[in-house]
Amino acid sequence: MPNIDRREFLKLVGAGGVSVGAGFMLRESTKHPREYLIPHVVAPEDISSGLSTWYNSVCSMCPAGCGISVRTREGRAKKIEGNLSHPVSQGRLCALGQAGLQALYNPDRLTAPMRRNGEGTFEEITWEQGLKQVGDRLDLLRAAGRGNRVALLTTGVRGHLAQLFESFMRQLGSPRLLHYDYDHPHTLYAANQQFFGEDRLPYYDLQNTRLLLSFGADYLSNWISPVHHSLGFGESRQGPADVRGRFVQIEPRMSISGAAADEWIPARPGTEGILALGLAHHIIAEGNYSGADRDAWMAALADYTADAVAEQTGVPATTITRLADSFVDTAPSLAIGGGSAGNHSNGVDTLVAVNALNYLVGNIGQEGGLVFNPEPAGPALQQHQASYSTMLELAEAAHHGEIDVLIINGTNPVFTLPPTAEFESALAQIPLVVSLSSFLDETTALADVILPSHTYLESWGDDFPEPGVGFSVGAVSQPVVSPLYNTRGTGDIILDLARRMGSSSVMPWQSMEEFLKYGWQRIYQRGDSQTLAQGFDAFWTSVLKAGAWGETKSGNTAFSLNPDVIAGIGVAPPEFSGSEDDYPFILHPYLSPNFHDGRGANLPWMQELPDPMTSIMYGSWVEMNPLTAQQMELSEGDLVDIQSPHGQLRVPVFIYPAIMPNVIAIPIGQGHGEYGRYAKDRGVNPIQILSPQLEPVTGSLASSATRVNVSATGKRVKLVKTGGTSRDLGRNIIQTTGGSGVEVSSVSSNSIPITEVTS
Amino acid sequence: MSLFSRFLDGWRKYRKPGYYEKFDYHWTMTVDLDKCTGCEACMMACQAENNIPVVGEDEVARGRELQWIRVERYWEGEYPNARLRFMPMMCQHCDAAPCETVCPVSATYHNQDGLNTQIYNRCIGTRSCAVYCPYEVRYFNYYDHGWDSPLEQQLNPDVTVRGKGVMEKCTFCIQRIRQAKDLAKDDDRRRVQDGEMQPACVQTCPTKALVFGDRNDPESQVSLSMDDPRSYRVLDELNTDSSVFYLKKVDA
Amino acid sequence: MTTPTERNDLGYNDIHEDVVRSIVKTGPKYYIALATAGSVTLLCFFFPWFYQLYYGIGAAGMNHPGVWGTYLSSFIFWIGLSHSGTLLSCVLHLTNSSWRKAMYRSAEAMTLFSLVVAATYVMVHVGRPWFIHWALPYPNQMELWPNFRSPLLFDVMAIATYITGSTIFIYMGSIPDFAAVRDRTSGWRNTMYTLLSLGWRGTDKEWHRLHWAYTFLAVLIIPLAVSVHSIVSWDFAMSIVPALHQTIFAPYFVVGAIYSGTAGIVTVMFVLRKTMGFEQYITKLHFDNLGKLLLVLSLIWTYINAVELFTGWYSGSSEEYEALGYKLFGFYAPLYWEMILFCAVAPLLMFSTRFRTSFVPMLILSIAINIGMYTERFLIIATSLSRQYLPDAWGVYVPSLVEISIMVGSFALFTTLFLVFVKIFPSVSMYEVKETMATPKIEPLAPASGSPA
Repeated sequence: MPNIDRREFLKLVGAGGVSVGAGFMLRESTKHPREYLIPHVVAPEDISSGLSTWYNSVCSMCPAGCGISVRTREGRAKKIEGNLSHPVSQGRLCALGQAGLQALYNPDRLTAPMRRNGEGTFEEITWEQGLKQVGDRLDLLRAAGRGNRVALLTTGVRGHLAQLFESFMRQLGSPRLLHYDYDHPHTLYAANQQFFGEDRLPYYDLQNTRLLLSFGADYLSNWISPVHHSLGFGESRQGPADVRGRFVQIEPRMSISGAAADEWIPARPGTEGILALGLAHHIIAEGNYSGADRDAWMAALADYTADAVAEQTGVPATTITRLADSFVDTAPSLAIGGGSAGNHSNGVDTLVAVNALNYLVGNIGQEGGLVFNPEPAGPALQQHQASYSTMLELAEAAHHGEIDVLIINGTNPVFTLPPTAEFESALAQIPLVVSLSSFLDETTALADVILPSHTYLESWGDDFPEPGVGFSVGAVSQPVVSPLYNTRGTGDIILDLARRMGSSSVMPWQSMEEFLKYGWQRIYQRGDSQTLAQGFDAFWTSVLKAGAWGETKSGNTAFSLNPDVIAGIGVAPPEFSGSEDDYPFILHPYLSPNFHDGRGANLPWMQELPDPMTSIMYGSWVEMNPLTAQQMELSEGDLVDIQSPHGQLRVPVFIYPAIMPNVIAIPIGQGHGEYGRYAKDRGVNPIQILSPQLEPVTGSLASSATRVNVSATGKRVKLVKTGGTSRDLGRNIIQTTGGSGVEVSSVSSNSIPITEVTS
Repeated sequence: MSLFSRFLDGWRKYRKPGYYEKFDYHWTMTVDLDKCTGCEACMMACQAENNIPVVGEDEVARGRELQWIRVERYWEGEYPNARLRFMPMMCQHCDAAPCETVCPVSATYHNQDGLNTQIYNRCIGTRSCAVYCPYEVRYFNYYDHGWDSPLEQQLNPDVTVRGKGVMEKCTFCIQRIRQAKDLAKDDDRRRVQDGEMQPACVQTCPTKALVFGDRNDPESQVSLSMDDPRSYRVLDELNTDSSVFYLKKVDA
Repeated sequence: MTTPTERNDLGYNDIHEDVVRSIVKTGPKYYIALATAGSVTLLCFFFPWFYQLYYGIGAAGMNHPGVWGTYLSSFIFWIGLSHSGTLLSCVLHLTNSSWRKAMYRSAEAMTLFSLVVAATYVMVHVGRPWFIHWALPYPNQMELWPNFRSPLLFDVMAIATYITGSTIFIYMGSIPDFAAVRDRTSGWRNTMYTLLSLGWRGTDKEWHRLHWAYTFLAVLIIPLAVSVHSIVSWDFAMSIVPALHQTIFAPYFVVGAIYSGTAGIVTVMFVLRKTMGFEQYITKLHFDNLGKLLLVLSLIWTYINAVELFTGWYSGSSEEYEALGYKLFGFYAPLYWEMILFCAVAPLLMFSTRFRTSFVPMLILSIAINIGMYTERFLIIATSLSRQYLPDAWGVYVPSLVEISIMVGSFALFTTLFLVFVKIFPSVSMYEVKETMATPKIEPLAPASGSPA
């Protein structure tokens, strides 16, 4: 550069600086699009600038049915909170429920009806086109008397939408109405049916219990009604001044409920029922049960001595007798079972055994025990719940060409069924697959026609929580914002299709709202004279306003046990798929507290909410006992291959101090192949490697009964997590105090030899 | 009064320890660790209420999450006696707050309600308050985080959306406090009543582990709660005089 | 009194010619150097900085526990480097050390430009530099004042005062030399130097007042310089972060600053000596003396480090002790031991006179010391912030490419400023060098003005 003199140099520097500056200015000046102010000269109804309007509705993010209050401003939903007057949520709400806003405003929502064109991609169509295509086909089938070739597969819905589905399918003459959810507790229903003779779940009165034994039920994060259980937990813990409820959790991997419990007892997977019977045996043997059928019990439980049970479960005999004694001594007490304990080959027997415990100490029908629910005020349709075997049948029927039309609403079986069910190829065999989903999930992506539904915040509906809270509860779900896109309510779509197939005489309602009002007439009729005097409209308005309707009429309190149950009691050892030599570990897939069964994975808030136990975000991991990891020379972030007889996953290791050494756990929820930008291609889905092991009574999938092999890949990733060092290093940050009048835990440090458990 | 003497007056008042003789309200929170289950509903409530953006996977991997309230987790013991304990950690609204002294532009200060307040549009982003805060509850906006349309429709109009280069933290939902005070004023009431307003986290806590209220009212739920024998303050030895009291976990 | 020159036959005129030549005669080498330094500044400093301004400070590697990073350690580094220049010059002026005279002008320039770079770093460091003026107490309609309790505000004040003081000090000391250059140049240079020399004529009265004012400023600047770095240390020590909350920090920082500053002078003098042809003025003697000073400083520095370790160990408190252990054996430990090697072990070589009087080894050592000192500043921030009170909030901070680039660019910025300086300021103080020489018997050339030259 010898030719550049000072002047040149300065010029160049100056010119460079100016152009850089000009570039920035240009970028800035073109960045903002023009915006207009819209004056509210004629303000829309329900919108007053600057003032919040609250609408009560029902949460549909999980099956619990919490009442919600949604704050709206200027016609937009701003915040979801629990509805204070709803007995399930009582003004409280979980994280997933609050993230429902992001389902409404999700950028990946389906905005208009679509149809698969010749090239296999979706093209936008009008509602008329879509409804006509589906309606014509249905009409044709119905007219030809082949309505049974139509199947309706929906997520577990309750209330009048469920009834609407039923009438719709009755019009078609098809028995194929299936409610399918991965996490539906089939075994719990079956166990209660066996034991109590009721097809409803009882109300578990956590609030008043003094000792809770939970056999695998993660009641604080996913089991049945977590918000309501949390309320009960808090009240039992520190509500009354003098006593403090004690919580014991029995499960192979510590869940949120396990962490909250006073005592966490790892029992070998699938032996929870055996443990329960061991407790029962001890109670009777100690003479703490004096019922007339004592001898029958003694005979049925003869094999379940503490020592024998200790041998099978890996829980020391001293712990068993101590638990049994305190279960008797502490009143009221309660035993619940579910979650992984119910997802084994002996699931129903296990949960029957848990019920037996409650029976033996007289917790049934007691405050602080389990209380029977009355008949729900609204339509109750448990019989449509589809188990894994029912889904297999559907898939098989499809493979045999017996299904012409499949209407899917809200459920995502391609994601939540293991590939061994061959559901994906079954879909391909069905000529017309119609999805009513609001999102392009894995199942919807395989549909032929998409008629997108409103989200629950835009549509009419109602809900009758199951289980109830000991008395009849109902709530109406009303739209809190006007629809964002060209979508329609599920009920409205079904009614429209019904009209198109000529069923308007039986299903005359023009809209879901109308049908709801019609249905709620019946509930209104149950009211007292004062309510009836005010008329239905006043009743309807007051239900909408309050967001909840209740009736203080409790359920059946009298209970007598069918003696056959006693004779049939007993829990067989669990059966696992795969041999122990080839597959030394038991896979424990659990519902992610954030994503439930995967439905929350498309919500960015939930993706960025740390997993409560590990603080991991945005991905999947496999939890492993520190000793196991040490033996395998694995540390956090090491990628391992998890191999089951039916598949393989690659996932990073997380060292988890509270999991049995021969168990590994992977959360369910991630691993989507579709479902929007936030969920897609993130993590793994452990359902994909589950063995099709069945629970024989219900035909449901024994999802905790898969054996796997773990092999290191030598690769490493950095886990995305927020927690630093999860040990307080003697800094006494979380301070503790001794119990006040509460039995002190006596799990001594060497109570379970690790070698014994791994054997 | 001349400008100078006014300045001098203000300065004298300002430099006096305990600027406020007594707070009008003394907002206080208690966290019952025996009730807390670590469910993180509080975190979600906070995120929804306070327009806290989602920063994305890459940013979280770099350790730049934004969590006005976070749940800390500490394991104790080894298998099979391992236990996990949770502790919600949010701005402790210290009455002797280290962050307040260090901010060169007074972007964070103590207001007459006993709140440690962050003025976003005064913040120049030295991040020194975050260094000085022993609880590490101050979070910095390293970028302008957008909302994928139409997620921005959810934004709470009562809360500022923070831009890049600004520190942010828990405010005890000051917008709700302001609203409650306004309502109280409109109603000719002189004081906000106990339970009339709650921050989003307290409002949603499914186990009612969080309690919020005015410490100046001896009858308030929070006053009773903070007098519980289990009550303690985290890092109390640092003499920050924080306004969040934790109730010890009962180890039974 | 020893003379700073090796050649005793050097006359007043030689000095003039050498110095004025260095200003007026500019070869292509200079332009190449300036263009290189300038473009590196633009590419490595300003471009990444603009990028960061536009997208946000997330361009740097800072994160949740590590909210402070290399920007701040660079800031301390440059403030530290600024220390020896003016401070050393003042001390040596007051102690009448004649060996100072050949080098102090460039040392003072180093101070000034280090401060400029440091001040720029403040802007790079903060999240919203466009509001940086809010840290200054200026009357405004909203009656909003900065927070006078804040150590950061002390810092703003101290640095502003120090920049002002140093500027006046270097400028005042240069007035007679400006006059001398004025008398030997023409055209725009003459105009510029006429303005800069403020009509200096070299009368006895002027000389008297210059000396008085110069000494006065020298006395003033010494406590100022000490206070500046004490205050910088308070940015950290006034916090309650374990391993930062230490009473020894103020002297530690001051010593560290002088230490790295002195090492910086050695580097700069070596470069000046080689490139500007000042072999006669900057001699082995200077290196020998600076070496002795460096040795003493290194011993004090090592001592303070040992004290810090001891108090940390003795405290037994979980937080302090763990922070200490983390520093010695944690994620950043290799850097720590590198610092110990460069700043505590290697300087012991200077016990040898031969080492002190060898130019190249001294250059290498001086650079090593400054690398070590930079590491020290980085470690103070990074290790302490990574391990605070709540273990669940622990994390690690690693600088990003943008930060590293800006760090490299800041050296280029410093070089650019220095290159501009050598073409404007007489980089060796002519009149003070001449004071050390015997008065010549014969007037070499008729001076154009009344200056003693």
